[in-house]
Amino acid sequence: MLLVDLQVAARNLTRHTRRNLFLGAALASVTGLLVLLGALTAGIEGSMMESATTLMTGDVNVGGFFKVTSGSAAPLVSGYPKVLAVTRAAVPELDYFTVRGRGWAKAVSDSASMDLVLGGVDIANEPAVRRVLQPIGGSLDELAKPNTMLLFQGQADRLKVGVGDVITLSAPTERGVNNTVDIRIAVVVRNVGIMSAFSAFIQADTLRGLYGLSPEATGAIHLFLKDRDQSNLVAARLREEFEKQGWRVMEPDPQPYYMKLFQTVPSEDWTGQKLDVTTWEDELGQFKQFIWGIKVFTGLLVFILMVVIVIGILNTLAIAIRERTREIGTLRAIGMQRRKVLWLFMLESGLLGLFGCVFGALAASALAAGLNAAAIPVPEAVQLFLSQEHLTFQLKAGAAVSDVLLLTLVTVGASLGPALRAARLKPITAMHHIG
Amino acid sequence: MNRLLAVLLLAAVASPAGAAAPDPATPAGLEALVRLIDDRQRNQGDWKALCYMEAKEKGKTDVVSELLVYRRDADEKQMFLFTKPKAEAGKGYLRIEKNLWMYDPATGRWERRTERERIGGTDTRRGDLAESRLAEEYHASYVGVAPLGKYQAWHLTLKVKPGIDVAFPQVELWIDQATQNILKRQELALSGKLMRTAYYPRWKKVPSPSKGGDVWYPEEMRFYDEIEKGNSTLVLIKEIDLRPLEANLFTKAWLESRSR
Repeated sequence: MLLVDLQVAARNLTRHTRRNLFLGAALASVTGLLVLLGALTAGIEGSMMESATTLMTGDVNVGGFFKVTSGSAAPLVSGYPKVLAVTRAAVPELDYFTVRGRGWAKAVSDSASMDLVLGGVDIANEPAVRRVLQPIGGSLDELAKPNTMLLFQGQADRLKVGVGDVITLSAPTERGVNNTVDIRIAVVVRNVGIMSAFSAFIQADTLRGLYGLSPEATGAIHLFLKDRDQSNLVAARLREEFEKQGWRVMEPDPQPYYMKLFQTVPSEDWTGQKLDVTTWEDELGQFKQFIWGIKVFTGLLVFILMVVIVIGILNTLAIAIRERTREIGTLRAIGMQRRKVLWLFMLESGLLGLFGCVFGALAASALAAGLNAAAIPVPEAVQLFLSQEHLTFQLKAGAAVSDVLLLTLVTVGASLGPALRAARLKPITAMHHIG
Repeated sequence: MNRLLAVLLLAAVASPAGAAAPDPATPAGLEALVRLIDDRQRNQGDWKALCYMEAKEKGKTDVVSELLVYRRDADEKQMFLFTKPKAEAGKGYLRIEKNLWMYDPATGRWERRTERERIGGTDTRRGDLAESRLAEEYHASYVGVAPLGKYQAWHLTLKVKPGIDVAFPQVELWIDQATQNILKRQELALSGKLMRTAYYPRWKKVPSPSKGGDVWYPEEMRFYDEIEKGNSTLVLIKEIDLRPLEANLFTKAWLESRSR
């Protein structure tokens, strides 16, 4: 029976080719746009999160601050091997970890200077960094040598330096004594978004030397879990465990560590060591806000388009019913029930919506794949925000299917009103209708 | 070289006749000389000065500020209150109980800052306008006699004493043999790299009732950033007043009231 209904609906659709093609094309365009916007947002989010979680934060971070006086603060964990041992025992979900130095310094070249947030890395134990960073000069292996540094392309341009050049890093130690280190640029890598603007990497022991730290001091331990969704649970458990073991632990505060270093911690009235356990969401608050902003913008755009589409469907179906009033009257006169008329009209809309949306999604997917293959460069100013050098669309089958279903449902929903009007027509009135 | 000559010329004009000075070539004379430098600048009571700062930063417009500096060395209290330019007026720093606070009238907020804060973002630090404590903070060693232009100067190297926190762990000093005033000061980082050079071409003295003698102060200080070449700050100290200050002056409330 359903097959017959489908045949009838399909035949009706083909009888009004021009109008239905127009409506189908509109539906296909909106679906295509929705799929493309979704893929672009997913691309931005994916590349931003991958680079950020690799370069700036683990799923969970065990960091901390050391204050020699109330007014000073250094982002460090003293005696980190003991902290690491407790961490490993308390986190069976741990996949792997990295130990990162944290710091801040003024980088001065012969012609310019800039402030940098520094990450102290042991490149031999940072496999994920190699996956994310693409050298355009020098080698990441060189970063294993003392007094070497990694700069992002934008930073190298600003400081007017290249691989092999020497710059001076100037920073106060944890006790407030000014210190400097002359450092060689070992590698320059492509920008990876907003973090390329302010963060750079330096060999871990060189960072310790700059801050006058012992080999047992570090900035933070980045923990990568088998399941990132467990981050909050693991962070809460670690806080409890550290407190049990006698460490002082900071209250959860969803801010990146450098915001705490410059704004919150120096104003707090304590001295000594405090541990600070954060999740990737805490450290990437501003990135998530940015992604949320993009999603809100995309959502608004889609909402406006949907309103346009619904109005289009209502108009088109109203015209269709007017044109087919006599046909409806005849169908009703030969015994077709009102419910059946309603069903047929909705089935027509559903079929039209499904075909249009599937076509739109397929066309958008093909276009996205083509654009990915074409590797269209993103303007430099926009790279900072998009975390991409080339326009990248991340197609997700699930998201595309959801878009198709959503728009098909909207089409069917929009046709409900006109279909009800058609079903309510009296056969005699409908058959006498002229037009 | 031109910079040095200009500075020394000014020093020549301003140099008063010197008294008999300790001989820094001997350990006792060296210690006495460093103490003398501190003592000549030390005041037993309060201290107020009107200062001008001109900061030059490479690639940026020069910034000129006027500020009032207050000191009560007996309690280690110090306060800076910016009066000009208009955009900076009311901004201030307050040092109480070895904590340095910065007040921004635009936000009405106080922020605790590091003791080695660059005042107003210039090359000037709090310590440049604080009591001289060379003998307390550093071990001195005598390098020799070094001519600075036509002046004969003693060259001393100062290294920080263990357990004391200072911004620069090593300082090189050139002291005018005739006046026992500092002519030139170089400050080095922990790494040994030269970070800042300061010139003191003009010294003045004012009688201090609380001290019962003269207090010397550098009327002009020129700071040159040796890491970021091209950045420099000129500080002029004017209108020194050594009369006692109000008892409640070194408070956040007082500084806030001045910015309203």
